[in-house]
Amino acid sequence: MTVFSALLSHYRRHPLQLLALALMIVLATMLWTGVSHLTDHARASLAQSERAIAGQQQLVREDGQALSVQDFAYLRRQGLCVMPWLEVQRPPPEGRVIGVDPFASACFGTEAPGQAGVDALNGTPFLDIAEAKAMVRQGSDGALSLLVPVDVEADAVPADYRLKDFSMGPATGELGESFLLNLDALGVLVLLITALLVRSVYQLGLVQRRESFALLGRFGVPAARVQVLLLIEMVVLTSVCVIPGIWLGRLLAEMLGGSFGQVLESLFDAPLYAVGGDGFVLPALVMVTVVLLACFADRWLLRRLPWISGRQSVLWFGVPALGLGLAMVAWPFTLGWLYVGIALVFVAVGLLTPRVLSFVAQWRAEGAGAITLWQRRELAVLFRRLALPVVALQFAVAMVLAIQALVTTFEDTFERWLGQRLEAEFYVEVPEQSAAADGVRYLAGLSGLGDWHLVQRGKTHVVPEMAGDDAATSVEVDLFSISPIGPLVTGWTLLDATPDAWEKLAAGQGVMVNEQLARRQGYQPGDPIGFVLGEQTLALPVVGVYADYGRPDGEILVAGKILPETFNTRFQSLSLNPGTLAMAEIEQGLATVWNIDQLTVRDNGSIRSLASGVFDQTFLITRAITVLTLVLAGTSLLVMGWVFFTTRARYYRLLFVWGLSRREAAGQLRWLAMCLTGAVAVAALPLGVWLTWTLVSRINPLAFGWSLPMAVYPGFWLEMLVLCLVIGLAIAVLMRRQLGAGVAAPVVANVSGGGER
Amino acid sequence: MVASLLTARGLNKQFRSGNQPVSVFRNLSLQLDRGESLALTGRSGSGKSTLLNILCGLEQPDTGSVQVLDEVFEGNNTDRQTEARWANLRRQQIGVVFQEANLMPALSLLDNVRLRAGLAGQNEDDCRDWLERLRIGELAGRFPDQVSGGQRQRAALAMVFAMNPALILADEPTGSLDRHTAEDVTGQLFDLQSRHGCGLILATHDAELATRCSHHLDLGHLPET
Ligand SMILES: Nc1ncnc2c1ncn2[C@@H]1O[C@H](COP(=O)(O)OP(=O)(O)OP(=O)(O)O)[C@@H](O)[C@H]1O
Ligand SMILES: [Mg+2]
Repeated sequence: MTVFSALLSHYRRHPLQLLALALMIVLATMLWTGVSHLTDHARASLAQSERAIAGQQQLVREDGQALSVQDFAYLRRQGLCVMPWLEVQRPPPEGRVIGVDPFASACFGTEAPGQAGVDALNGTPFLDIAEAKAMVRQGSDGALSLLVPVDVEADAVPADYRLKDFSMGPATGELGESFLLNLDALGVLVLLITALLVRSVYQLGLVQRRESFALLGRFGVPAARVQVLLLIEMVVLTSVCVIPGIWLGRLLAEMLGGSFGQVLESLFDAPLYAVGGDGFVLPALVMVTVVLLACFADRWLLRRLPWISGRQSVLWFGVPALGLGLAMVAWPFTLGWLYVGIALVFVAVGLLTPRVLSFVAQWRAEGAGAITLWQRRELAVLFRRLALPVVALQFAVAMVLAIQALVTTFEDTFERWLGQRLEAEFYVEVPEQSAAADGVRYLAGLSGLGDWHLVQRGKTHVVPEMAGDDAATSVEVDLFSISPIGPLVTGWTLLDATPDAWEKLAAGQGVMVNEQLARRQGYQPGDPIGFVLGEQTLALPVVGVYADYGRPDGEILVAGKILPETFNTRFQSLSLNPGTLAMAEIEQGLATVWNIDQLTVRDNGSIRSLASGVFDQTFLITRAITVLTLVLAGTSLLVMGWVFFTTRARYYRLLFVWGLSRREAAGQLRWLAMCLTGAVAVAALPLGVWLTWTLVSRINPLAFGWSLPMAVYPGFWLEMLVLCLVIGLAIAVLMRRQLGAGVAAPVVANVSGGGER
Repeated sequence: MVASLLTARGLNKQFRSGNQPVSVFRNLSLQLDRGESLALTGRSGSGKSTLLNILCGLEQPDTGSVQVLDEVFEGNNTDRQTEARWANLRRQQIGVVFQEANLMPALSLLDNVRLRAGLAGQNEDDCRDWLERLRIGELAGRFPDQVSGGQRQRAALAMVFAMNPALILADEPTGSLDRHTAEDVTGQLFDLQSRHGCGLILATHDAELATRCSHHLDLGHLPET
């Protein structure tokens, strides 16, 4: 019998252990592959959809009339590359689809918007224009746009037509990017947790094989040889296990991916393109590396840095690392710096938690009665001996807490952002620059109309130092003007403001800036801001800072009345609540005033309901991932706890021998197990809250320049606590069965393990 | 008639090995009074431990009766009330010492003794004295894994005496000790037992030790199929 087969014989005698280890590796691989696959998927489709939407332009008629097939035919005959884009609004739940003509788009080359989607997507939401037309004939609303390539210049456009920017819905790109970044962080955490779990199972096996190693040593096999064999054993096992793991992970991603795709689709008004199958090699390599690191890195470290094995050194390393990590996160310079800080905090917390819990468990226990003293000492032992699964569960719970808070916050933020932008029930695009005044006059004369305002958007330059009109040093920002300033906006929650901010804004005595601009240029309420409007440069105080989630650009909000005639307005719209009037009536009136036959009107309610639908689904996915991690960590603590309890069963039986009834003894075990898992939940809480804070207040501002509001959800904390207690209860139930079978079985002299303290 | 400390009548016990019933002992009876000691001998597997477990209610006989002090137990009975009566006896009247693992690993020797005394309703202040008497007073603060096997067994005896039991059941208490230490420990056991006048049943492989007991029961043979 070779040394190797002698080593392996352990698993022949304990096949369950091998199975547990294999299962842990498979599950870990599955989880991580699933998460990273989803993120990759999402990232790729996001990039593609941005390419599809970004920077398109369209042709519209000078007279404001709706485009028809005749326009398309005419323009084509003029030799222009135009592509029909038929947007069909179907009644919910089907939602919007877009018909494109793959043949007409040929002249766009590979740049054609929606092009790739026609075949790949099997009809959602891009489909062949013929099908879209059929829908319109069946009664759905349809709007035809004619897209032209971005390189078409204004002078190439036939008379009666002009170029106009083409965009679909609100651009939420950065909100999505930020969400993806956080998903990435989730992936890393999942990897960390799975590494801990694999390690804990592996360690458990090692403890039980200690005797056979000693035996091999006595037979003259050098320890180094055993180590190498163990390494080979793990490499083989991991290599075998990652394959089904990756496959299962893909399956998981696909199962979740369906709804994920829909989320992105409705979020970005862009289809989720199928991403081609990725190789197995990279994920397999990552996983093998992680498993090997988890199982063997400490050995290597111990040989280089022997001092780390000391009891005190955990404290010597852990406490400063925690302090340093927290400081790095509190005052981050760059994103990389921030991530290092987070990693430090996690390592330190992982090292310290078992110690701290163990310390707290027996703190001031001396004065207590003997049985209480026993309980608390025993608990302290459990915390130390089950350190790995305890920390894994702590991380998992913390992650679930953070993700839940994050997702809920995202939903909330997105709602609020939509709320700000879509305060009115409808918005109506103003067809051309000069028409705005007519529209405003018409609306002002209507009685019974609800709140309304005119939105005008353009560009301006902020002059940082106010050192003359030197445009070279100025920063271009968006200008957002509203008139009149009324109830549609005064309800916004401002991040920071001077007293009477809205009044000052309305009076033209101040401006507001969005969070991005305030952060970037360091504006605070009261600071003067210089900016260029048309020919003149204004200097007005900043009276408020408003949250403007998910947009990269800085923005200044001003009252419409300070805009000079010469200001180059790029986009205008009217936001309005019809009040007691019928919307159709108002539309009719505006169409008459503007002398066009079709208005672009958006019903903000439907956009809003679409957006809330989106986040319900996002919830589902993130929850699925986090709950899976939690289940894995919970199961692992359950298994490890049970195994450890089993090695100590003969001591727990002493309780029974000493005259506690079966019920009382079981009660003691229940108390121990539930304290163990309950404490994990409690220890996870600060970590989870801190992680949430880091995600919303540190990572996001650094990466995108705006912060998410921080929110906590104590109801969910309670749920987690209950869940952890249930895990504890399950351990106790398993243990009770163990104790029930063959009470006080005679003790075997050579049992190793179980007597630890 | 004054009841004896312990009486067992007509005990039968079978185990199943595979499908075959294995009879460990048949129709076994014994009696023990205060101040008396009984040595249980017999080959390995002859049923010494099983008998001790039955005599303190950790296992149930198939048939037969056991009486300890004024509690009487009939046959194989595991209802909650019977269990509670046995638990009560073990808590206050019956001290059990195994060959190993008699102490909670997370508690110091002294705390182990205190725990045992506390459960039995005895004064926890005397616990240190018991360790002193067993000559391990200076080890009181150490944990079980910090002392030798013989010292652990002495601590186990201290625990038993600290509960002031009426009956001591010792299952090869010195089985894993060297001869010298074993004699030392058993010497103390007999010494304290006679001084306190409690009953002692001692399962042992040591024939010489058996002769020091006032009674001797040889389970002898291996169980019959
Ligand atoms: N739970 C059980 N299930 C089946 N058989 C058992 C069980 N417990 C004990 N036995 C059998 O009963 C017999 C008596 O066992 P016991 O432990 O009482 O022997 P012993 O005299 O104490 O032996 P030793 O001197 O080795 O401690 C043995 O043959 C043993 O195999
Ligand atoms: Mg025995």
